[in-house]
Amino acid sequence: MIERTPILNAVTQVVLLVMLFVILVPFWMVFAAASHDFVTVNRVPMPLWPGGHLYENLSEVWIKGNFGTALTNSLISSVLVTVGKVFLASITAFSIVFFRYRARMLVFWAIFITLMLPLEVRIVPTYAVAANVLSPLQQMLNLLGFQLVLPEWNLLNTYAGLVLPLVATATGTFLYRQFYLTIPKDLAEAAKMDGAGPLRFYWQILMPLSRSNMAALAAIMFVYAWNQYLWPLLVITDQANYATATMQLQKMVPEGFGEPPVWNTAMAATLIVLVPPAIVSILLQRLIVRGLITTEK
Amino acid sequence: MNRILIAAASLGALALAAAPAHAERIKFDFWYGNTGAIAEVVQKHCDLFNQSQDKYEAVCTGQGGYDKAEQNTIAAYRAKQQPTIVQIYDAGTVNFMLSDAIIPAVQFAKDHGMNVAWDSYFGGIKNYYATSKGEMWSFPYNSSTAMFYWNKDVWAKIGKTEAPKTWSEYAADLKAMKAAGVSCGLALDYDTWTALEQFSASNDLPIATMNNGYDGLGAELLFNKTAYVDHMKDYKSWLDSGYAELHTEQTGKDIDQAFADGTCASIFESIADFRNFKKTATGFNWGVAMLPLLDGKERKNTLVGGASLWVMKGKTDQEYEAATAFLNYATAADTGQKYIVENTGYIPVRADGLDLLNKEGFYQKPENAGRELAIASLTASNGTPVTRGIRLGNYTSIRKALKSELEAAFAGQKDVQVAIDDAVTTGNEILRRYEQTFQGAQLP
Amino acid sequence: MLRHAAFTNIWLAAALVVPQLLLVFIFFYWPTGEALYWAFTLEQPFGGSNQWVGWLNFATVFKDPKYWNSVQVSIIFAAATTAIIISVSLSLALLVDRRLPGHQIYSFAYFIPYAMAAPAAGLAFRFIFSPNAGFVAAINNWFPNIWNPATDGFDAMVLVVLCQAWKSIGYNFVFFLAALQSIPRPLTEASAMDGAGAMRRMWDIQVPLVMPTLFFLLIINLTDSFVDSFGIIDITTHGGPARATDLMVYKIYFDGFKAQDYSLAAAESIVLMLLVIVLTFIQFRFVERRVHYA
Repeated sequence: MIERTPILNAVTQVVLLVMLFVILVPFWMVFAAASHDFVTVNRVPMPLWPGGHLYENLSEVWIKGNFGTALTNSLISSVLVTVGKVFLASITAFSIVFFRYRARMLVFWAIFITLMLPLEVRIVPTYAVAANVLSPLQQMLNLLGFQLVLPEWNLLNTYAGLVLPLVATATGTFLYRQFYLTIPKDLAEAAKMDGAGPLRFYWQILMPLSRSNMAALAAIMFVYAWNQYLWPLLVITDQANYATATMQLQKMVPEGFGEPPVWNTAMAATLIVLVPPAIVSILLQRLIVRGLITTEK
Repeated sequence: MNRILIAAASLGALALAAAPAHAERIKFDFWYGNTGAIAEVVQKHCDLFNQSQDKYEAVCTGQGGYDKAEQNTIAAYRAKQQPTIVQIYDAGTVNFMLSDAIIPAVQFAKDHGMNVAWDSYFGGIKNYYATSKGEMWSFPYNSSTAMFYWNKDVWAKIGKTEAPKTWSEYAADLKAMKAAGVSCGLALDYDTWTALEQFSASNDLPIATMNNGYDGLGAELLFNKTAYVDHMKDYKSWLDSGYAELHTEQTGKDIDQAFADGTCASIFESIADFRNFKKTATGFNWGVAMLPLLDGKERKNTLVGGASLWVMKGKTDQEYEAATAFLNYATAADTGQKYIVENTGYIPVRADGLDLLNKEGFYQKPENAGRELAIASLTASNGTPVTRGIRLGNYTSIRKALKSELEAAFAGQKDVQVAIDDAVTTGNEILRRYEQTFQGAQLP
Repeated sequence: MLRHAAFTNIWLAAALVVPQLLLVFIFFYWPTGEALYWAFTLEQPFGGSNQWVGWLNFATVFKDPKYWNSVQVSIIFAAATTAIIISVSLSLALLVDRRLPGHQIYSFAYFIPYAMAAPAAGLAFRFIFSPNAGFVAAINNWFPNIWNPATDGFDAMVLVVLCQAWKSIGYNFVFFLAALQSIPRPLTEASAMDGAGAMRRMWDIQVPLVMPTLFFLLIINLTDSFVDSFGIIDITTHGGPARATDLMVYKIYFDGFKAQDYSLAAAESIVLMLLVIVLTFIQFRFVERRVHYA
């Protein structure tokens, strides 16, 4: 674009820079806190210039938090959540937007409503389900008069327990619905004219078009799954083998009751836990921006 | 991705390889609520137990907070996945007593041949976890009480070398310090544990009818009619006169930090923080003392804080056998109480623990000087009808209601008396609701 | 929406939605149904007996003036955060999309707050609001005692709104930027040829074209600030001072999670859910009409 807007450009740069500062200050504080020793970090105000204990703190929490195992667990479960969610969301939205049947609004709202009640509120019955996943189905069967006995399937201390409940929420489905609605309406008709069935349309036309959306959703979902701690704390009691990174972090954050605020090591742990989602989001962010530019309309 | 798979596979292999070594051990689950540094102490306690013998293995799981430990235990119990032993904080005591999900400590000890000297538990601790008939239903583990922390250097400025004994003396000290140019004599937050509960106990004031609820779920709150109201009026006037300052997390510095960095000359805080201050409050001389008293009052025992161990119903005999071994280990004078006291700011819970520590000269060491006062405070009397503890349903919500009203009062939006009256009204509604929820249930 | 519906294979359509519906049923509706049943009983924490009490819990909720205060506070909070988040992140995305030097750095950095786990964010805020250093100190130096979230309800509300905004802007920014980048360049260039200034183009061309995304984010932010904001409150103000930041969802979290009054929390949950459903339904009904889809 050949156009000279010096004032607007200057304003743009200033605003962006100020926001960058606002956004990054807390990160600097986490970093600085992680580099101090116990006494310095508890001084008020804490010195904002980093101290020399970063490596020492990092290696201390690495062992204490068993982060080798925990990061692996987090990575496995977050990747599974991300993949599962992106896939499920895309096929569900596909059905809702591109198929003609009466219940589709109902289906959409049935999924959408799951955004409206957080886990904390229904934690007790949800735990019961995790301890025996098929129990709702079993009770439904009993209610309907079937004599079939389903096996007990316990999700406690399994990856499935970490992953499945997080896959079952609505954000992704809603996002895909919004995206599919922006796809020109003639596209599906044209595909039909060419004799393409719905699955081929989904695979050969929709998928390539939604690559960038997928990247955006994947980044968000990865971070979302990574930062969960309440649910993992509940389903994982075998913490030596199945602890996740954020769960280990949560346990290091002092909660009062006379516990010394060892913020320096807690923040060192924060740095460790922060690295993978930061990398993933930066990588995927490139994909988002690049992917969308090539979207042809 | 390959690397993850390899990591996962090697992890699995490790778990398999580790399994046979513990195959013969009887495992049981122990859940605890502590986080941060104390969680490490608890975790290490488990490790030490596991190393001390080769028959049992405690599988210890931190729940990331006292409230989460209680909530998760309830959820697990309802799904029949409960641990054998769980650490529950003081506020959860009533729920657990009424739960029908636990085995009372006295009962458990009797059934499993534990030889517990119940009477050697300190009064202030024992009564809190005991029924109205005096039977203990849980095993005290990490116990604390409230103390007065004071900056001796600042008191020296007004020519005093001793902590104030009474509230009126304390008020005079604050005034004198202000005159001497001290900008903050006392750091306050809206916490009710020290200001209401410990204040009331040490002065033998009731908080609720029916002996603070020990005699039944029909109790009603009383603290809007006791000296507590004047006490809060004092707080308010100290804030208004600039003797005291409010310090909460939102203002960037809580009361602990305000004391530790010398901003404020004194605070009321748990003895559990003692070791913490040894590390952070290094720039001046400070000490601990028992809470001041109202004029003309005789000192009564303060109340215990911290948490205790409960045994859950519905586990196997083997698990209970292992749990017995662990409870013996974790409450013994040497392997239990001494370990906790030496590694945290908490206090011994029984006479045998205190004897052992005294014998070893623990309290004579300069770094521990003053910690014995917490025991003195807890044992100042043997439990009057209103210093046994507080047995009120959903006390968590009552505390919150009072806190909200004090916030309004201290900000000048409400008269202090009106605010406390309102808190009592709300609190009584909470109590009636709790009573109705447990209709027909009897407090043991 | 109907005009997109090209396919009619009902069995395939069903097969595509069944997996998610099944998961949602097992992990959401079943447990939620049980929790909501408690709204009509007095449920003891450990199970035990529970008595049917009809509308008693709802009566308790509605006749409590403190609850109405919560409703008011929640609406203010949701409106303020949503407005700030949407306007700031859209503005940032529009500015970054101008592709001046350095725009790549910004597009990475603005996403980062979302990646910070809640406990860590809590600490960061504590430093920011410290009266001796940082943001608060600066303000209080210029205007002594003007900022005190420990006693002033308005300050506390500003604090939680800012925290929520700080946390969410990255999330919103990414979606806006993605949407902006997908606008075909020729469109804006043609408009520039016609003499439309940069600001004019943003308002007339770019904003209308990102409306589907804006609608998505509007709904998500609104539900988030009603439903998922107890974490921020728990870290910062605990609902105070004097209930100035006592959001409906924080009250639910406190009553249900901390105080184990499951029945009261269930009744409050139903009220909140109905409120949010009505609000989003209105959005779908009226706001979405103005959204331009393809």
